[in-house]
Amino acid sequence: METYRTEEEQVEALKKWWDENGRSTIAAVVLALAAGFGWQGWQEHQRGQAEAASLLYEEMMQAVGQSAEGSQADTLKTTGERLKTDYPSSTYAQFAALHLARIAVVDGRLEDAEAELRWVLTKNPAAEVALLAELRLARVKAARGETQAALDILTAAEPGSFAAAYAEAEGDLYLDLGDTDKAIAAYERALGLAAASGGGASEALRLKLSSLTPVPARDLAAAAEQ
Amino acid sequence: MLQNIRKNLKGTIAMVIITLMIIPFAITGIDSLLTGGGVQYLAEVNGERISAADVQVQVNQQKRRLLMTMGDNIDPSMLDDQLLVGPALDQIIQKSLLMQAARDYGLAVPEQLLVDFIGDMDVFKIDGQFDPVRFRQIVSDQGYTPAGFQQALREDLVVTQLRLGLAGSTFATGHEIERLARIEQEQRDLRYMVLPLDKFRTDAEITDVDVAAWYEANQDQYMTEETVTLSYIELTRDDFTRPVDEDRLREVFEIEKSAYQRPEERRVSHILITPADDEDDAAVLARIASVQARLEGGEDFAAVAGDLSDDIGSAAAGGDLGFTDGSLFPEEMETAIAELDLDQVSAPVETDAGFHLIKLTEFRDGESVSFEDVRGELEERLAAEEASRELVKTVEKLRDLAFNAEDLADPAAELELEVERSAPITRDQSDGLFADPRLIAAAFSSDVITEGYNSEVVEIDTEHFVVLRAEEHRLPELKSLETVRDGIVADLRDEAARQNIRDTAGELLAQLRTAEGASIESLAQAGGYEWQVELATTRSNPAAPDSLLRRAFQLPAPEEGQTTFEYAQNAEGDIELFELVKVIPGNAETIGEGQRRLIERQLIGEYGRQADEYFQQQLRSDADITRS
Repeated sequence: METYRTEEEQVEALKKWWDENGRSTIAAVVLALAAGFGWQGWQEHQRGQAEAASLLYEEMMQAVGQSAEGSQADTLKTTGERLKTDYPSSTYAQFAALHLARIAVVDGRLEDAEAELRWVLTKNPAAEVALLAELRLARVKAARGETQAALDILTAAEPGSFAAAYAEAEGDLYLDLGDTDKAIAAYERALGLAAASGGGASEALRLKLSSLTPVPARDLAAAAEQ
Repeated sequence: MLQNIRKNLKGTIAMVIITLMIIPFAITGIDSLLTGGGVQYLAEVNGERISAADVQVQVNQQKRRLLMTMGDNIDPSMLDDQLLVGPALDQIIQKSLLMQAARDYGLAVPEQLLVDFIGDMDVFKIDGQFDPVRFRQIVSDQGYTPAGFQQALREDLVVTQLRLGLAGSTFATGHEIERLARIEQEQRDLRYMVLPLDKFRTDAEITDVDVAAWYEANQDQYMTEETVTLSYIELTRDDFTRPVDEDRLREVFEIEKSAYQRPEERRVSHILITPADDEDDAAVLARIASVQARLEGGEDFAAVAGDLSDDIGSAAAGGDLGFTDGSLFPEEMETAIAELDLDQVSAPVETDAGFHLIKLTEFRDGESVSFEDVRGELEERLAAEEASRELVKTVEKLRDLAFNAEDLADPAAELELEVERSAPITRDQSDGLFADPRLIAAAFSSDVITEGYNSEVVEIDTEHFVVLRAEEHRLPELKSLETVRDGIVADLRDEAARQNIRDTAGELLAQLRTAEGASIESLAQAGGYEWQVELATTRSNPAAPDSLLRRAFQLPAPEEGQTTFEYAQNAEGDIELFELVKVIPGNAETIGEGQRRLIERQLIGEYGRQADEYFQQQLRSDADITRS
């Protein structure tokens, strides 16, 4: 920094600086403050929105906890729809849609179930949520008889930790297509992946695989030597 | 630079600039500069650090849970921090992954929900009402502060929202239910006969040659266990308990006397007359007199207090002030109270607050405790304290001596302790002092059994210590033929029976498969075996043997017009010979609503578990986790 000989020179220099830069300094300060408070306000707003959605979601989950019949099912549907319309970009709305898809499956409205799952996927969900939604979408497709479309969904995905579940669903689809060999291969892959993840395979998977892989009758002596 | 600014910028502009510099601190707070320091971290999950203290809290809670569920029977080694830290850290990592996901998803638990939730919990209620004292009590029993508990609950609630949203929205389509139903509903017609192993046991003589041959071939089954016989010194606090000196007891009693004693307590009510600012003495006296007149007229003190007392707080409660032990109120009041009989009302007493008319409403005797009353308790405590000190001192000396000595006899002699000798103990010792896993570990450590050193002084608990050394170490060795002969004969008989049953079953199976006219019924009758028919059985049928059903449902369906003969053997060695007559494929259309529900519930359970598990695995594999 330059040095100044007298007090007057200093003041003079500062005044000059202020004349040149004062306006922009003030503008910068005002902008920074506005941005700061704006950010805080925005966050506050976000939190308020999330909490309101959370309360509505809790209301919906209360209805899930009770029986899924009659008025409870209605509450579930109306709160779910409200979450989707009032807080469409919240994760709560995605959860609500997943539950609406579940209810639709229970009611046999597979087309609605598909629409709900597709809605979740348009909302830019987190990767894990997307994997779950796509798997369920493929299973709904399978139930609607659109086997090939379902297979396309499964094979296009990078299933990550969901690989075992994807493989099992794939096995189901090959079975629907009548391709037993591919079904067996997919089920065996699912079994291996489930074992590797440490979680163990589901009873249903074991049953499906064993029904496809009969063991023919053996000689008693031969078996004894094994 | 700051120096220059200070020198060069004075006056308004300087103020403006300094103000600018202050703004960021005012917004973010200065503590962002002050945090950090000497905290130890065990892991980092996506940049969020997990401190050793966090893990310890989790470990302590786990211990409390173990103690609560297992009570006093608990194996102390289960409470070892070393064992609990790993799982506790895993749990915390898992939890923080879930919390981070919840945060990323923008999930939030509003205060209102939390308050409602706590208010609704039955454990915090007394007579159906939320009770804050009970709340704090229970929460602190669980090792939480109220704020910590709310935070933990908030985390639980948000994780529950997450799981309900994902795993909780699992469904099973009708298509999937039917697919499984077709398998579970499949039926098979079976005919079977059972050959029990016992029927094939014989009393045929087992020769010495056979026994010797078996003994040679299966030596590994006939080894003794490795044992070590120990000499040891055991120290317990009780060994050091000595009578306590009478003078010492009296001395401590004098110091602690007040803790044993409860003072007299008096419950009082009062009527307060506070002179108003513009009230003269005469007016005040007149007011006091009117109060006294009403009391003397036989009116209830509480009622008069309610009407006339200037102490608004107590007036509503009939003037009641609660109990005093003589130190609660101003001295003038306490002096007056001490002189009152029960239900007597005092003359006006003046304090800074004004004039009090005081009534004694209840009197509680103080309790004084004599030396004799507490002598036993006191002696026990002092003796235990003294014994603990002695024990610790002796253990310290023993550590040094045992470490340096060639045996245990010298340290024992020096400290006037006894060396004892154990029975032979094994690595899986289950009774006696040496069932303690820490002592087993010490006894079989290489220092003790290989090098022949004294062990370290092992702390079993704070009042119980053991040091040991090996006197005799026996490696596993082959038991003599004589001692195991009976066992071998039994094994050989069993082996022979299994061979017999296989031979017979093999023969029968061959007949069934090839001989004209041979059937399960005819062969069973000829051989004297039981036989059964199971028509249209499913995979689960309590009436038929499990081994039979498992094998029968593995078989491929027989060709048209044919049947399949096969065998199955259960764990006891019995053999079932069976004929698979017919396979009736499951028909999803015919399953009942109840069956359908059952399969649906099974599938939702399995898919839901998967969703939960794979979701958490995905979080883990996407995360950046380092353990230090």
